[in-house]
Amino acid sequence: MRLLISIFFFVLYSCSNTNRTIKIKGSDTEVNLAVMMAEQFQHVNGDFLISVSGGGSGLGIASLFNGNANIANSSRRIKKGEISLFSKNNIELDSFIFAEDAIAFVVSDKMQIESISTANIAKILSGEIQNWALITGQNMPITIYGRQSNSGTFDYVKNILKIHFSQQAKQMNGNAQILEAIKADDSGFGYVSAGYVLKGNANGLKILRVFNGNAKAVSPLHAESIASGEYFFQRPLFQYYRKVDYKSIKQFLDFEKSKIGAKIIQESGYYPVNN
Amino acid sequence: MDTKKRELIDRIFKILFKSAGLLTISLLAGIFFMLFSNSILFFLKVAPIDFFTGSQWDPETNYSILPLLVSTSLVAIGSMIIAVPLGILTAAFLSEIAPAKVQMVLKPIIEMLAAIPSVAIGFLGIVLVGPGLAYVFGIQNGLNALNGSIVLAVMALPTIVTISEDAINAVPKAHREASLALGANKWETLFKVTIPAAMPGLIAAIMLGLGRALGETMTVLMATGNAAAIPKGFLDSVRTITATIAIEMGEVPYQTTHYFALFAIAALLFLISLMVNLIGEYFANNLRKFHA
Repeated sequence: MRLLISIFFFVLYSCSNTNRTIKIKGSDTEVNLAVMMAEQFQHVNGDFLISVSGGGSGLGIASLFNGNANIANSSRRIKKGEISLFSKNNIELDSFIFAEDAIAFVVSDKMQIESISTANIAKILSGEIQNWALITGQNMPITIYGRQSNSGTFDYVKNILKIHFSQQAKQMNGNAQILEAIKADDSGFGYVSAGYVLKGNANGLKILRVFNGNAKAVSPLHAESIASGEYFFQRPLFQYYRKVDYKSIKQFLDFEKSKIGAKIIQESGYYPVNN
Repeated sequence: MDTKKRELIDRIFKILFKSAGLLTISLLAGIFFMLFSNSILFFLKVAPIDFFTGSQWDPETNYSILPLLVSTSLVAIGSMIIAVPLGILTAAFLSEIAPAKVQMVLKPIIEMLAAIPSVAIGFLGIVLVGPGLAYVFGIQNGLNALNGSIVLAVMALPTIVTISEDAINAVPKAHREASLALGANKWETLFKVTIPAAMPGLIAAIMLGLGRALGETMTVLMATGNAAAIPKGFLDSVRTITATIAIEMGEVPYQTTHYFALFAIAALLFLISLMVNLIGEYFANNLRKFHA
Protein backbone atom coordinates (compact mmCIF):
# COMPACT_ATOMS: atom_id res chain seq x y z
CA MET A 1 0.00 0.00 0.00
CA ARG A 2 2.76 2.40 0.97
CA LEU A 3 4.50 1.52 -2.27
CA LEU A 4 1.33 2.20 -4.22
CA ILE A 5 0.97 5.61 -2.64
CA SER A 6 4.55 6.53 -3.42
CA ILE A 7 4.08 5.40 -7.02
CA PHE A 8 0.96 7.49 -7.19
CA PHE A 9 2.79 10.59 -6.04
CA PHE A 10 5.63 9.85 -8.39
CA VAL A 11 3.19 9.72 -11.29
CA LEU A 12 1.55 12.92 -10.12
CA TYR A 13 4.93 14.56 -9.87
CA SER A 14 6.00 13.50 -13.33
CA CYS A 15 2.79 14.94 -14.72
CA SER A 16 3.72 18.34 -13.48
CA ASN A 17 6.90 18.00 -15.45
CA THR A 18 9.63 20.51 -15.84
CA ASN A 19 9.39 20.19 -19.64
CA ARG A 20 7.60 22.91 -21.50
CA THR A 21 4.26 21.76 -22.83
CA ILE A 22 2.48 23.02 -25.90
CA LYS A 23 -1.07 21.90 -26.53
CA ILE A 24 -2.37 22.10 -30.08
CA LYS A 25 -6.02 21.51 -30.87
CA GLY A 26 -8.36 22.04 -33.75
CA SER A 27 -8.98 21.42 -37.42
CA ASP A 28 -9.14 17.85 -38.64
CA THR A 29 -7.60 18.93 -41.93
CA GLU A 30 -4.48 20.08 -40.16
CA VAL A 31 -4.20 17.43 -37.48
CA ASN A 32 -2.05 14.94 -39.42
CA LEU A 33 0.33 17.64 -40.48
CA ALA A 34 0.57 19.06 -36.97
CA VAL A 35 1.35 15.61 -35.55
CA MET A 36 4.20 15.12 -38.05
CA MET A 37 5.48 18.57 -37.22
CA ALA A 38 5.39 17.92 -33.47
CA GLU A 39 7.18 14.57 -33.79
CA GLN A 40 10.02 16.04 -35.84
CA PHE A 41 10.28 19.04 -33.56
CA GLN A 42 10.67 16.83 -30.51
CA HIS A 43 13.58 15.05 -32.18
CA VAL A 44 15.35 18.36 -32.59
CA ASN A 45 14.26 19.90 -29.33
CA GLY A 46 13.75 17.43 -26.52
CA ASP A 47 12.72 20.02 -23.90
CA PHE A 48 9.27 20.39 -25.34
CA LEU A 49 6.28 18.17 -24.88
CA ILE A 50 3.77 18.75 -27.64
CA SER A 51 0.33 17.23 -27.66
CA VAL A 52 -1.79 17.45 -30.76
CA SER A 53 -5.47 16.64 -31.11
CA GLY A 54 -8.17 17.21 -33.69
CA GLY A 55 -11.86 17.81 -33.16
CA GLY A 56 -12.52 20.66 -35.54
CA SER A 57 -11.63 24.31 -36.07
CA GLY A 58 -14.40 25.53 -33.77
CA LEU A 59 -13.29 23.26 -30.96
CA GLY A 60 -9.71 24.46 -31.38
CA ILE A 61 -10.68 28.11 -31.04
CA ALA A 62 -12.99 27.36 -28.11
CA SER A 63 -10.13 25.51 -26.39
CA LEU A 64 -7.84 28.44 -26.98
CA PHE A 65 -10.45 30.65 -25.35
CA ASN A 66 -10.85 28.31 -22.38
CA GLY A 67 -7.12 27.98 -21.96
CA ASN A 68 -7.09 24.28 -22.84
CA ALA A 69 -4.87 24.84 -25.83
CA ASN A 70 -1.90 27.04 -26.63
CA ILE A 71 -2.34 26.86 -30.37
CA ALA A 72 -5.63 26.50 -32.22
CA ASN A 73 -5.44 24.98 -35.68
CA SER A 74 -8.12 26.41 -37.88
CA SER A 75 -8.80 25.77 -41.53
CA ARG A 76 -11.03 28.84 -41.63
CA ARG A 77 -10.52 32.46 -40.67
CA ILE A 78 -11.72 33.21 -37.14
CA LYS A 79 -15.33 34.44 -37.14
CA LYS A 80 -16.59 37.79 -35.92
CA GLY A 81 -18.51 36.20 -33.07
CA GLU A 82 -15.38 34.44 -31.88
CA ILE A 83 -13.25 37.57 -32.09
CA SER A 84 -15.71 39.50 -29.95
CA LEU A 85 -15.66 36.69 -27.41
CA PHE A 86 -11.89 37.07 -27.08
CA SER A 87 -11.92 40.86 -27.01
CA LYS A 88 -14.66 40.89 -24.36
CA ASN A 89 -12.30 38.98 -22.10
CA ASN A 90 -9.31 41.12 -23.06
CA ILE A 91 -7.43 38.32 -24.70
CA GLU A 92 -5.22 39.44 -27.52
CA LEU A 93 -4.93 37.04 -30.42
CA ASP A 94 -2.39 36.58 -33.09
CA SER A 95 -2.40 34.28 -36.06
CA PHE A 96 0.06 32.54 -38.26
CA ILE A 97 -0.54 30.99 -41.66
CA PHE A 98 1.55 27.89 -41.55
CA ALA A 99 0.65 26.18 -44.80
CA GLU A 100 -1.63 26.31 -47.78
CA ASP A 101 -4.07 23.68 -48.77
CA ALA A 102 -5.68 22.97 -52.12
CA ILE A 103 -9.19 21.61 -52.34
CA ALA A 104 -9.52 18.77 -54.80
CA PHE A 105 -12.74 17.92 -56.61
CA VAL A 106 -13.13 14.21 -56.96
CA VAL A 107 -15.28 11.86 -59.05
CA SER A 108 -15.28 8.13 -59.69
CA ASP A 109 -12.75 6.99 -62.29
CA LYS A 110 -15.67 5.65 -64.37
CA MET A 111 -16.78 9.20 -65.20
CA GLN A 112 -15.79 10.51 -68.65
CA ILE A 113 -14.51 13.84 -67.43
CA GLU A 114 -11.03 15.20 -66.86
CA SER A 115 -11.53 18.83 -66.03
CA ILE A 116 -14.36 21.05 -64.87
CA SER A 117 -15.04 24.77 -64.80
CA THR A 118 -15.62 26.70 -61.60
CA ALA A 119 -18.99 27.78 -62.98
CA ASN A 120 -20.09 24.17 -63.35
CA ILE A 121 -18.82 23.33 -59.85
CA ALA A 122 -20.97 26.13 -58.48
CA LYS A 123 -24.01 24.89 -60.40
CA ILE A 124 -23.55 21.32 -59.20
CA LEU A 125 -23.00 22.21 -55.57
CA SER A 126 -25.94 24.58 -55.43
CA GLY A 127 -28.20 21.95 -56.96
CA GLU A 128 -28.83 23.82 -60.19
CA ILE A 129 -27.46 20.95 -62.26
CA GLN A 130 -28.62 17.60 -60.92
CA ASN A 131 -27.66 15.27 -63.75
CA TRP A 132 -24.31 14.43 -65.30
CA ALA A 133 -25.93 14.51 -68.78
CA LEU A 134 -25.36 18.26 -69.06
CA ILE A 135 -21.67 17.93 -68.26
CA THR A 136 -20.36 14.59 -69.45
CA GLY A 137 -23.28 13.25 -71.49
CA GLN A 138 -23.75 10.31 -69.13
CA ASN A 139 -27.35 10.17 -67.96
CA MET A 140 -26.87 9.76 -64.23
CA PRO A 141 -28.06 11.82 -61.29
CA ILE A 142 -25.30 13.67 -59.44
CA THR A 143 -24.77 12.76 -55.81
CA ILE A 144 -22.89 15.41 -53.89
CA TYR A 145 -20.63 14.33 -51.04
CA GLY A 146 -19.43 17.19 -48.93
CA ARG A 147 -18.50 18.27 -45.46
CA GLN A 148 -20.68 19.48 -42.63
CA SER A 149 -21.94 23.03 -42.68
CA ASN A 150 -19.44 24.35 -40.16
CA SER A 151 -16.26 22.69 -41.36
CA GLY A 152 -13.62 25.05 -42.61
CA THR A 153 -13.67 23.28 -45.98
CA PHE A 154 -17.42 23.75 -46.43
CA ASP A 155 -17.21 27.39 -45.43
CA TYR A 156 -14.38 28.05 -47.82
CA VAL A 157 -16.03 26.44 -50.85
CA LYS A 158 -19.33 28.14 -50.10
CA ASN A 159 -17.77 31.58 -49.79
CA ILE A 160 -15.43 31.47 -52.74
CA LEU A 161 -18.16 30.25 -55.11
CA LYS A 162 -20.77 32.51 -53.47
CA ILE A 163 -23.40 29.77 -53.45
CA HIS A 164 -25.91 28.18 -51.12
CA PHE A 165 -25.31 24.48 -50.86
CA SER A 166 -28.01 22.12 -52.13
CA GLN A 167 -30.05 20.59 -49.33
CA GLN A 168 -29.65 17.26 -51.11
CA ALA A 169 -25.90 17.24 -50.55
CA LYS A 170 -24.78 14.41 -48.34
CA GLN A 171 -22.64 15.56 -45.47
CA MET A 172 -19.88 13.21 -44.49
CA ASN A 173 -17.93 13.33 -41.30
CA GLY A 174 -14.47 13.86 -42.65
CA ASN A 175 -12.41 13.73 -45.80
CA ALA A 176 -11.73 10.00 -45.72
CA GLN A 177 -15.43 9.14 -45.62
CA ILE A 178 -16.09 11.29 -48.67
CA LEU A 179 -13.48 9.35 -50.62
CA GLU A 180 -14.87 5.98 -49.49
CA ALA A 181 -18.36 7.03 -50.57
CA ILE A 182 -17.27 8.19 -54.04
CA LYS A 183 -15.30 4.99 -54.59
CA ALA A 184 -18.57 3.11 -54.07
CA ASP A 185 -20.80 5.52 -55.98
CA ASP A 186 -20.09 6.13 -59.68
CA SER A 187 -22.32 9.19 -59.73
CA GLY A 188 -20.59 10.87 -56.79
CA PHE A 189 -19.05 14.32 -56.81
CA GLY A 190 -17.13 15.49 -53.79
CA TYR A 191 -14.50 17.83 -52.46
CA VAL A 192 -11.67 17.02 -50.11
CA SER A 193 -8.45 18.52 -48.92
CA ALA A 194 -5.76 17.61 -51.49
CA GLY A 195 -3.59 16.03 -48.79
CA TYR A 196 -6.08 13.16 -48.65
CA VAL A 197 -5.75 12.08 -52.28
CA LEU A 198 -2.00 11.55 -52.32
CA LYS A 199 -0.05 8.32 -52.44
CA GLY A 200 -2.41 5.63 -53.67
CA ASN A 201 -5.40 7.01 -51.81
CA ALA A 202 -6.82 7.88 -55.18
CA ASN A 203 -7.44 4.32 -56.43
CA GLY A 204 -10.81 4.22 -58.15
CA LEU A 205 -11.01 8.01 -58.08
CA LYS A 206 -10.34 10.76 -60.53
CA ILE A 207 -9.07 14.12 -59.36
CA LEU A 208 -10.46 16.79 -61.65
CA ARG A 209 -8.43 19.62 -63.06
CA VAL A 210 -10.16 22.92 -62.52
CA PHE A 211 -10.34 25.99 -64.75
CA ASN A 212 -11.81 29.38 -64.12
CA GLY A 213 -13.21 31.16 -67.16
CA ASN A 214 -10.77 30.73 -70.04
CA ALA A 215 -7.69 29.99 -68.00
CA LYS A 216 -6.03 26.62 -68.43
CA ALA A 217 -7.10 23.71 -66.28
CA VAL A 218 -4.89 23.13 -63.25
CA SER A 219 -4.53 20.04 -61.08
CA PRO A 220 -4.64 20.52 -57.30
CA LEU A 221 -1.72 18.12 -57.03
CA HIS A 222 0.60 20.23 -59.18
CA ALA A 223 2.92 21.91 -56.70
CA GLU A 224 4.26 24.65 -58.98
CA SER A 225 0.78 25.86 -59.91
CA ILE A 226 -0.17 26.09 -56.27
CA ALA A 227 3.01 27.97 -55.47
CA SER A 228 2.23 30.50 -58.17
CA GLY A 229 -1.37 30.74 -57.02
CA GLU A 230 -2.88 29.47 -60.27
CA TYR A 231 -5.18 26.89 -58.73
CA PHE A 232 -8.58 28.39 -57.96
CA PHE A 233 -9.37 26.56 -54.72
CA GLN A 234 -6.40 27.11 -52.46
CA ARG A 235 -6.72 28.41 -48.96
CA PRO A 236 -4.54 29.28 -46.00
CA LEU A 237 -4.40 27.06 -42.92
CA PHE A 238 -4.25 29.10 -39.76
CA GLN A 239 -2.80 28.70 -36.33
CA TYR A 240 -4.19 31.04 -33.70
CA TYR A 241 -2.54 31.72 -30.35
CA ARG A 242 -2.72 34.16 -27.48
CA LYS A 243 -0.23 37.00 -27.79
CA VAL A 244 1.03 36.42 -24.25
CA ASP A 245 1.96 32.86 -25.19
CA TYR A 246 4.12 33.88 -28.10
CA LYS A 247 7.44 33.59 -26.27
CA SER A 248 6.79 30.07 -25.06
CA ILE A 249 5.74 28.73 -28.45
CA LYS A 250 8.08 30.79 -30.59
CA GLN A 251 10.57 27.97 -31.09
CA PHE A 252 7.87 25.70 -32.43
CA LEU A 253 6.49 28.32 -34.79
CA ASP A 254 9.98 29.04 -36.05
CA PHE A 255 10.47 25.35 -36.68
CA GLU A 256 7.30 25.30 -38.78
CA LYS A 257 8.67 28.13 -40.88
CA SER A 258 12.09 26.49 -41.28
CA LYS A 259 13.28 24.45 -44.24
CA ILE A 260 12.63 21.17 -42.41
CA GLY A 261 9.15 22.40 -41.65
CA ALA A 262 8.53 23.22 -45.30
CA LYS A 263 9.66 19.73 -46.25
CA ILE A 264 7.25 18.12 -43.81
CA ILE A 265 4.44 20.27 -45.16
CA GLN A 266 5.18 19.17 -48.70
CA GLU A 267 5.43 15.52 -47.76
CA SER A 268 2.01 15.66 -46.11
CA GLY A 269 0.42 16.97 -49.29
CA TYR A 270 0.17 20.64 -48.33
CA TYR A 271 2.08 23.64 -49.56
CA PRO A 272 4.46 25.84 -47.62
CA VAL A 273 3.70 29.53 -47.67
CA ASN A 274 6.26 31.60 -49.51
CA ASN A 275 7.08 34.59 -47.42
CA MET B 1 -14.72 -5.50 17.63
CA ASP B 2 -16.64 -3.35 20.06
CA THR B 3 -20.01 -1.93 19.34
CA LYS B 4 -18.82 1.61 18.92
CA LYS B 5 -16.41 0.72 16.20
CA ARG B 6 -19.02 -1.28 14.36
CA GLU B 7 -21.52 1.51 14.53
CA LEU B 8 -18.92 3.90 13.21
CA ILE B 9 -18.17 1.65 10.25
CA ASP B 10 -21.89 1.29 9.64
CA ARG B 11 -22.33 5.00 9.60
CA ILE B 12 -19.37 5.60 7.30
CA PHE B 13 -20.67 3.11 4.80
CA LYS B 14 -24.12 4.58 4.97
CA ILE B 15 -22.72 7.98 4.06
CA LEU B 16 -20.55 6.45 1.36
CA PHE B 17 -23.42 4.72 -0.40
CA LYS B 18 -25.71 7.67 0.01
CA SER B 19 -23.18 10.03 -1.56
CA ALA B 20 -22.57 7.61 -4.44
CA GLY B 21 -26.30 7.60 -5.15
CA LEU B 22 -26.60 11.36 -4.81
CA LEU B 23 -23.61 11.87 -7.08
CA THR B 24 -25.32 9.98 -9.90
CA ILE B 25 -28.48 11.97 -9.46
CA SER B 26 -26.61 15.27 -9.38
CA LEU B 27 -24.80 14.27 -12.57
CA LEU B 28 -28.15 13.79 -14.27
CA ALA B 29 -29.38 17.07 -12.86
CA GLY B 30 -26.22 18.80 -14.09
CA ILE B 31 -26.67 17.50 -17.62
CA PHE B 32 -30.32 18.47 -17.51
CA PHE B 33 -29.47 21.97 -16.32
CA MET B 34 -26.76 22.49 -18.92
CA LEU B 35 -28.96 21.31 -21.82
CA PHE B 36 -31.87 23.48 -20.84
CA SER B 37 -30.00 26.63 -19.86
CA ASN B 38 -28.24 26.60 -23.23
CA SER B 39 -31.52 25.88 -25.02
CA ILE B 40 -33.08 28.91 -23.39
CA LEU B 41 -30.26 31.06 -24.73
CA PHE B 42 -31.08 29.67 -28.16
CA PHE B 43 -34.77 30.43 -27.92
CA LEU B 44 -33.94 34.01 -26.95
CA LYS B 45 -32.42 34.39 -30.40
CA VAL B 46 -34.66 32.20 -32.55
CA ALA B 47 -38.41 32.12 -32.11
CA PRO B 48 -39.70 28.68 -31.07
CA ILE B 49 -42.28 28.87 -33.84
CA ASP B 50 -39.54 29.05 -36.48
CA PHE B 51 -37.74 26.22 -34.77
CA PHE B 52 -40.71 23.88 -34.91
CA THR B 53 -42.34 24.88 -38.19
CA GLY B 54 -39.60 25.80 -40.68
CA SER B 55 -38.40 23.29 -43.21
CA GLN B 56 -34.66 23.88 -43.43
CA TRP B 57 -31.75 23.15 -41.17
CA ASP B 58 -29.18 25.49 -42.65
CA PRO B 59 -27.16 26.88 -39.75
CA GLU B 60 -26.69 30.63 -39.52
CA THR B 61 -29.81 31.29 -41.60
CA ASN B 62 -32.46 28.70 -40.85
CA TYR B 63 -32.78 26.66 -37.70
CA SER B 64 -35.67 24.28 -38.09
CA ILE B 65 -35.73 20.97 -36.33
CA LEU B 66 -38.38 19.54 -38.63
CA PRO B 67 -36.11 17.81 -41.18
CA LEU B 68 -34.03 16.36 -38.35
CA LEU B 69 -37.06 15.21 -36.41
CA VAL B 70 -38.63 13.59 -39.47
CA SER B 71 -35.31 11.87 -40.21
CA THR B 72 -34.89 10.59 -36.67
CA SER B 73 -38.45 9.25 -36.56
CA LEU B 74 -38.15 7.66 -40.00
CA VAL B 75 -34.97 5.80 -39.12
CA ALA B 76 -36.15 4.77 -35.65
CA ILE B 77 -39.56 3.56 -36.81
CA GLY B 78 -37.97 1.73 -39.75
CA SER B 79 -35.57 -0.03 -37.43
CA MET B 80 -38.46 -1.08 -35.17
CA ILE B 81 -40.43 -2.47 -38.12
CA ILE B 82 -37.47 -4.74 -38.80
CA ALA B 83 -36.31 -5.48 -35.27
CA VAL B 84 -39.60 -6.01 -33.41
CA PRO B 85 -40.98 -9.04 -35.31
CA LEU B 86 -37.50 -10.50 -35.59
CA GLY B 87 -36.71 -9.92 -31.92
CA ILE B 88 -39.99 -11.20 -30.50
CA LEU B 89 -40.03 -14.29 -32.69
CA THR B 90 -36.42 -15.02 -31.75
CA ALA B 91 -37.30 -14.63 -28.08
CA ALA B 92 -40.32 -16.93 -28.48
CA PHE B 93 -38.16 -19.49 -30.23
CA LEU B 94 -35.49 -19.29 -27.54
CA SER B 95 -37.80 -19.68 -24.58
CA GLU B 96 -40.55 -21.94 -25.95
CA ILE B 97 -39.26 -24.07 -28.78
CA ALA B 98 -35.48 -24.36 -28.77
CA PRO B 99 -34.00 -27.32 -26.88
CA ALA B 100 -32.04 -26.31 -23.79
CA LYS B 101 -28.69 -26.92 -25.49
CA VAL B 102 -29.48 -24.68 -28.48
CA GLN B 103 -30.75 -22.02 -26.12
CA MET B 104 -27.54 -22.13 -24.11
CA VAL B 105 -25.50 -21.49 -27.25
CA LEU B 106 -27.79 -19.00 -28.98
CA LYS B 107 -28.54 -16.64 -26.13
CA PRO B 108 -24.97 -15.56 -25.41
CA ILE B 109 -24.36 -15.18 -29.14
CA ILE B 110 -27.31 -12.81 -29.50
CA GLU B 111 -26.20 -10.88 -26.45
CA MET B 112 -22.77 -10.58 -27.98
CA LEU B 113 -24.31 -8.42 -30.71
CA ALA B 114 -24.55 -5.70 -28.08
CA ALA B 115 -20.79 -5.80 -27.61
CA ILE B 116 -19.94 -4.86 -31.20
CA PRO B 117 -18.78 -1.24 -31.27
CA SER B 118 -21.19 1.05 -33.11
CA VAL B 119 -18.43 2.29 -35.42
CA ALA B 120 -17.91 -1.25 -36.66
CA ILE B 121 -21.61 -1.64 -37.42
CA GLY B 122 -21.62 1.75 -39.12
CA PHE B 123 -18.71 0.67 -41.25
CA LEU B 124 -20.66 -2.43 -42.30
CA GLY B 125 -23.44 -0.03 -43.25
CA ILE B 126 -21.07 1.77 -45.62
CA VAL B 127 -19.25 -1.16 -47.20
CA LEU B 128 -21.86 -3.93 -47.08
CA VAL B 129 -25.45 -2.74 -46.64
CA GLY B 130 -24.99 0.40 -48.76
CA PRO B 131 -23.74 -1.27 -51.96
CA GLY B 132 -26.25 -4.09 -51.36
CA LEU B 133 -29.18 -1.68 -51.25
CA ALA B 134 -27.86 0.20 -54.28
CA TYR B 135 -27.77 -3.08 -56.21
CA VAL B 136 -31.21 -4.30 -55.08
CA PHE B 137 -33.04 -1.03 -55.72
CA GLY B 138 -31.00 0.04 -58.73
CA ILE B 139 -30.00 3.37 -57.18
CA GLN B 140 -26.65 5.14 -57.24
CA ASN B 141 -25.77 4.68 -53.61
CA GLY B 142 -27.14 3.00 -50.53
CA LEU B 143 -26.55 5.71 -47.95
CA ASN B 144 -30.17 6.33 -46.97
CA ALA B 145 -32.80 5.91 -44.27
CA LEU B 146 -33.31 2.23 -45.05
CA ASN B 147 -29.62 1.54 -44.53
CA GLY B 148 -29.78 3.35 -41.18
CA SER B 149 -32.87 1.36 -40.19
CA ILE B 150 -31.20 -1.94 -40.98
CA VAL B 151 -28.04 -1.24 -39.03
CA LEU B 152 -30.02 0.19 -36.10
CA ALA B 153 -32.25 -2.89 -36.11
CA VAL B 154 -29.13 -5.00 -35.63
CA MET B 155 -28.13 -2.80 -32.69
CA ALA B 156 -31.56 -2.85 -31.05
CA LEU B 157 -32.00 -6.62 -31.43
CA PRO B 158 -30.06 -7.76 -28.35
CA THR B 159 -32.08 -5.42 -26.09
CA ILE B 160 -35.39 -6.55 -27.57
CA VAL B 161 -34.54 -10.25 -27.57
CA THR B 162 -33.21 -10.35 -24.01
CA ILE B 163 -36.09 -8.46 -22.41
CA SER B 164 -38.77 -10.21 -24.49
CA GLU B 165 -37.31 -13.56 -23.57
CA ASP B 166 -37.45 -12.70 -19.87
CA ALA B 167 -41.04 -11.58 -20.33
CA ILE B 168 -42.10 -14.76 -22.13
CA ASN B 169 -40.24 -16.92 -19.64
CA ALA B 170 -42.01 -15.19 -16.78
CA VAL B 171 -45.50 -16.18 -17.98
CA PRO B 172 -46.66 -18.76 -15.39
CA LYS B 173 -46.57 -22.35 -16.55
CA ALA B 174 -50.20 -22.77 -15.52
CA HIS B 175 -51.28 -20.53 -18.42
CA ARG B 176 -49.68 -22.82 -20.98
CA GLU B 177 -50.84 -25.99 -19.30
CA ALA B 178 -54.42 -24.74 -19.14
CA SER B 179 -54.32 -23.85 -22.83
CA LEU B 180 -52.88 -27.20 -23.85
CA ALA B 181 -55.43 -29.01 -21.64
CA LEU B 182 -58.22 -27.23 -23.49
CA GLY B 183 -56.99 -28.80 -26.69
CA ALA B 184 -54.99 -25.93 -28.17
CA ASN B 185 -51.84 -26.97 -29.98
CA LYS B 186 -48.36 -25.55 -29.39
CA TRP B 187 -48.71 -22.69 -31.89
CA GLU B 188 -52.11 -21.60 -30.66
CA THR B 189 -50.78 -21.64 -27.12
CA LEU B 190 -47.77 -19.54 -28.10
CA PHE B 191 -49.61 -16.91 -30.15
CA LYS B 192 -52.93 -16.76 -28.32
CA VAL B 193 -51.91 -17.32 -24.71
CA THR B 194 -48.22 -16.93 -23.96
CA ILE B 195 -47.39 -13.87 -26.09
CA PRO B 196 -50.53 -11.90 -25.10
CA ALA B 197 -49.81 -12.68 -21.45
CA ALA B 198 -46.26 -11.39 -21.87
CA MET B 199 -47.44 -8.24 -23.66
CA PRO B 200 -46.45 -5.63 -21.03
CA GLY B 201 -42.94 -7.05 -21.02
CA LEU B 202 -42.84 -7.07 -24.80
CA ILE B 203 -43.88 -3.42 -24.92
CA ALA B 204 -41.14 -2.62 -22.43
CA ALA B 205 -38.68 -4.45 -24.68
CA ILE B 206 -39.82 -2.51 -27.74
CA MET B 207 -39.62 0.83 -25.94
CA LEU B 208 -36.12 0.19 -24.63
CA GLY B 209 -35.07 -0.96 -28.09
CA LEU B 210 -36.57 2.21 -29.53
CA GLY B 211 -34.65 4.26 -26.97
CA ARG B 212 -31.46 2.61 -28.17
CA ALA B 213 -32.32 3.38 -31.80
CA LEU B 214 -33.18 7.03 -31.09
CA GLY B 215 -29.97 7.76 -29.24
CA GLU B 216 -27.54 5.91 -31.46
CA THR B 217 -25.13 8.27 -33.19
CA MET B 218 -22.13 6.80 -34.91
CA THR B 219 -23.91 4.12 -36.94
CA VAL B 220 -26.57 6.45 -38.35
CA LEU B 221 -23.97 9.13 -38.96
CA MET B 222 -22.03 6.71 -41.13
CA ALA B 223 -24.90 4.88 -42.81
CA THR B 224 -27.52 7.48 -43.66
CA GLY B 225 -25.69 10.00 -45.86
CA ASN B 226 -26.73 13.05 -43.81
CA ALA B 227 -28.53 15.20 -46.36
CA ALA B 228 -30.50 17.88 -44.55
CA ALA B 229 -33.49 17.96 -46.90
CA ILE B 230 -36.77 16.54 -45.57
CA PRO B 231 -36.81 12.90 -46.74
CA LYS B 232 -39.64 11.71 -48.98
CA GLY B 233 -39.13 8.01 -48.36
CA PHE B 234 -36.84 5.30 -47.06
CA LEU B 235 -34.54 5.58 -50.05
CA ASP B 236 -33.71 9.23 -49.36
CA SER B 237 -30.70 10.36 -47.39
CA VAL B 238 -31.60 11.53 -43.90
CA ARG B 239 -29.85 13.45 -41.15
CA THR B 240 -30.87 12.49 -37.63
CA ILE B 241 -30.66 14.72 -34.56
CA THR B 242 -27.79 12.73 -33.09
CA ALA B 243 -25.80 12.81 -36.33
CA THR B 244 -26.30 16.56 -36.65
CA ILE B 245 -24.92 17.16 -33.18
CA ALA B 246 -21.98 14.85 -33.76
CA ILE B 247 -21.11 16.34 -37.14
CA GLU B 248 -21.44 19.98 -36.19
CA MET B 249 -20.28 20.18 -32.58
CA GLY B 250 -16.59 19.97 -33.44
CA GLU B 251 -16.48 22.94 -35.76
CA VAL B 252 -19.15 25.22 -34.40
CA PRO B 253 -17.99 28.65 -33.20
CA TYR B 254 -18.15 28.77 -29.42
CA GLN B 255 -21.23 30.36 -27.82
CA THR B 256 -22.98 31.43 -30.98
CA THR B 257 -26.59 30.85 -31.97
CA HIS B 258 -25.54 27.75 -33.85
CA TYR B 259 -23.77 26.42 -30.77
CA PHE B 260 -26.87 26.95 -28.63
CA ALA B 261 -29.03 25.45 -31.38
CA LEU B 262 -27.19 22.16 -31.02
CA PHE B 263 -28.04 22.17 -27.30
CA ALA B 264 -31.67 22.89 -28.12
CA ILE B 265 -31.99 19.90 -30.42
CA ALA B 266 -30.11 17.78 -27.89
CA ALA B 267 -32.60 18.85 -25.21
CA LEU B 268 -35.50 17.86 -27.43
CA LEU B 269 -33.92 14.48 -28.15
CA PHE B 270 -33.35 14.06 -24.42
CA LEU B 271 -37.05 14.69 -23.75
CA ILE B 272 -38.11 12.24 -26.44
CA SER B 273 -35.87 9.43 -25.28
CA LEU B 274 -36.71 10.14 -21.63
CA MET B 275 -40.37 9.70 -22.50
CA VAL B 276 -39.76 6.49 -24.42
CA ASN B 277 -37.67 5.09 -21.59
CA LEU B 278 -40.25 6.06 -18.97
CA ILE B 279 -42.97 4.25 -20.92
CA GLY B 280 -40.66 1.24 -21.18
CA GLU B 281 -39.92 1.32 -17.44
CA TYR B 282 -43.61 1.69 -16.62
CA PHE B 283 -44.49 -1.49 -18.49
CA ALA B 284 -41.46 -3.30 -17.13
CA ASN B 285 -42.56 -2.45 -13.56
CA ASN B 286 -46.10 -3.60 -14.31
CA LEU B 287 -44.69 -6.90 -15.41
CA ARG B 288 -42.79 -7.32 -12.17
CA LYS B 289 -45.88 -6.57 -10.11
CA PHE B 290 -47.96 -8.95 -12.20
CA HIS B 291 -45.67 -11.88 -11.55
CA ALA B 292 -44.70 -11.10 -7.99
